[in-house]
Amino acid sequence: MKKLLATFLLGFIGFYLYTAFAGVPFGESKMKVGKDYLETTVPKTGAVNTVTSIVVNYRGFDTLGEVTVLFLAATGLGAILFGMKGKPEDKHREPSSILTTGAKALFPIIVLLGAYIFIHGHLTPGGGFQGGTIIATGVLMLILGIKKFHANHALLSIMESLAGITFVVAGILGLAFGKTFLENILPLGTPGQVFSAGVIPIIYVAVGFKVGAELAGVLDTMMSTTRGEE
Amino acid sequence: MIYYIVSIIVMLIGLYAVLMKKNLIKIVVGLSLIDSGTHLLLVAIGFIKGGTAPIYSEPGLTADAMVDPVPQALVLTAIVIGVAVTAVALAMVIRIYAQHKTLDIRKIRSLKW
Amino acid sequence: MPELFPLSPVHYVAAPLLAAFLLPLVAKLSRSFIKILPGLTFLYVLYVSAVLFPHALQSPIIEQIAGWAPPLGINLYYGPMAGLFASLFSALGFIVWLYSLTQMKQEPLDRFYILLMMLVAGATGIVLTGDIFNLFVFMEITAISAFSLTAFLREDDKAEAGFKYILIGSLASTFVLLGIAVLYSYTGTLNLADLALSMEKVPLSVRVIVFGLFLVGFGIEAEIFPLNGWAPDAYSAAPAPVSALFAGITVKAALYALARVTILLFPFAGSMALISILGLVTLVISELAALHQKNLFRMLAYSSMGQVGLAIAALGLFTAEGVYAALFAMINHAIVKGMLFLAVFAMAGGSANLDNLNGMGRKKPVLSFMFTLGAFAIIGLPPFSGFWSKLSVLTAMGQTGNYIMIAIVLATTIVEATYYLRATGRLYLSEGSPVESKTPLSAIAAVAVLAAGILWIGFFPGSIDEILTAGAQDLLDTAKYTEGVLKD
Repeated sequence: MKKLLATFLLGFIGFYLYTAFAGVPFGESKMKVGKDYLETTVPKTGAVNTVTSIVVNYRGFDTLGEVTVLFLAATGLGAILFGMKGKPEDKHREPSSILTTGAKALFPIIVLLGAYIFIHGHLTPGGGFQGGTIIATGVLMLILGIKKFHANHALLSIMESLAGITFVVAGILGLAFGKTFLENILPLGTPGQVFSAGVIPIIYVAVGFKVGAELAGVLDTMMSTTRGEE
Repeated sequence: MIYYIVSIIVMLIGLYAVLMKKNLIKIVVGLSLIDSGTHLLLVAIGFIKGGTAPIYSEPGLTADAMVDPVPQALVLTAIVIGVAVTAVALAMVIRIYAQHKTLDIRKIRSLKW
Repeated sequence: MPELFPLSPVHYVAAPLLAAFLLPLVAKLSRSFIKILPGLTFLYVLYVSAVLFPHALQSPIIEQIAGWAPPLGINLYYGPMAGLFASLFSALGFIVWLYSLTQMKQEPLDRFYILLMMLVAGATGIVLTGDIFNLFVFMEITAISAFSLTAFLREDDKAEAGFKYILIGSLASTFVLLGIAVLYSYTGTLNLADLALSMEKVPLSVRVIVFGLFLVGFGIEAEIFPLNGWAPDAYSAAPAPVSALFAGITVKAALYALARVTILLFPFAGSMALISILGLVTLVISELAALHQKNLFRMLAYSSMGQVGLAIAALGLFTAEGVYAALFAMINHAIVKGMLFLAVFAMAGGSANLDNLNGMGRKKPVLSFMFTLGAFAIIGLPPFSGFWSKLSVLTAMGQTGNYIMIAIVLATTIVEATYYLRATGRLYLSEGSPVESKTPLSAIAAVAVLAAGILWIGFFPGSIDEILTAGAQDLLDTAKYTEGVLKD
């Protein structure tokens, strides 16, 4: 009975969603603001990567919110799991020495890759979120590979706070020295160079640090509440 | 058109998991699937035939040859939000498991609707 | 430095964000900052309100973000309606902070205050923004804070309530996101004003579907029947100060989003009638459900849904009087229900069984008196604020000739009176246990401020008349909205 009802509901939602999108031609341009972004990104923001200029500049307020959402998830996760400890009986298999050595050897390279990706966010595909996630996967590898590994929570929390403050302060400086919040007040430089596009790379590097620190913190919190240690 | 249909199907599979599955983790996986379907749909909307990535990486590229960048920017935001929701949901699953020692919603009285 | 930092609506969001990012740092210096910083932040946004709101009543303040004119950039629209809600949210945030100072003891307090500030800032962002995707982002900020706060306490069943809330809440956000995706694929824009002007590009049948998506999405957060199954659990699981904010802030922000989006983008008669009917159904079912509740927080939660239903029913009338009445009902509900949650928690504690109220009239006379005041205000007895708000709802319904609606509202008032008077009776007529406990002065002060608001509006309803009229006009006058935003 419940199954029938669920199938009916799925069919209902699916049919109407399809109807809504049936009139949208696939593969054709539906751009209105998109066109303007593509045309103004290089002369007006100095960023070669249009997606980055939208994310950090045109719609930077969204990204500030997005960073906040991630910050809140880390905060909320810590609040929900506060004081919980794994029990010694839920021991897990110990990592093999290959995994341990490999994790230690690969970690710096992964961090380097992540840093490269967020520093070049305005030039190549990628950016703060992607780079930060890559760094967090490096930390995940350490957590899996090294017995009793714990991330330094105090350091992570300082990092994410400073990065968040950088973002907001960049916004407020825009308000103080320009006209609007998050305005790009630094010189745009030569498009295509690392030091170009004004505040965009600064914000994206801060986002990279913040995302990396937050995701690493989340992983570590989850691990230490579920993994038992004697 | 097939892209729209497939992403809607992914979404519906996720919704089915949320409605019918009895395991908490599978329900969270269902939520993630719904998110993924939505993100696929958004990216599909922005695609333009023959378009390349909206990055002026080499000289000679013009705006006409690029796909719509806006849905890509939106998807980036939506993915991060999806991750955040999944993380918080999993934290709650950890708490529920610690208390009831089971992930089966049929055995957890307070999760009955 | 008034020259360097000109006050603008973005401060409502930027200041709490900065404070939230700073809090983990200053907490390392001294634990006392954890409590002080949020209070300072709420005071600051109240100051912003005090400076900006009078301007907004004259003419709306439209602020661009990142130096891009809409529709390229995101804009904030701070008109009478947004100003009213932003000020209300800041004030409620401050009061709840004052109350939590002594009543909130569960660690980790730093995380509690961060989530609290962001709940308020997110809701404020929803009412300020002029961009539909930005609205979605702020909705998520509010939702994730709300999810986490629901499961904040350690006791049994809190995580379960949180899990239910997160399941249905993330479905809500998916529906909203899908609605945005459909709108974008037909119009190629995300700015609300720009969307309002390009809606004719969307076929009528698709418009109906998108309206359905938004109605479900915002309706879940606004607790419209039958999408409100999560609410009683969440209200009774969350710490009481947070429940007060759920009733006062998150629901109001979602309602605002629903009203703004519907009136701007889907102004057909059918959508309004549907909203009105849903509001009435919510009102009737919630009030009947409240009658059977033994748990005080659940009772207040159902009553809260009923009040929201009343506001929605008035909103759906789609006349200036109807929107005026809906605004009045929303403000009345935010103040009164916030106060009831805080008063009940101070009297009965977290395990708020109805029996815990027994004999409180003698043990905690001030709080009992204020609870009684709130109960009378909700029922709609004169001379409290609830009387005027209910009267304006009934007048608005009478003007459109909806006598069945009037009958329904009056009938539910009797139901409301039954269970609130029953609870009030417990305070004064039953013998309670002789356990003594002191309520700190700051908590009583927080409740008293709200009680004073009820009395003030009760005796001087004319004082907010001008604001409500301006707010109703602001919401209904879509041409002024779109012209104002897109004038450059």
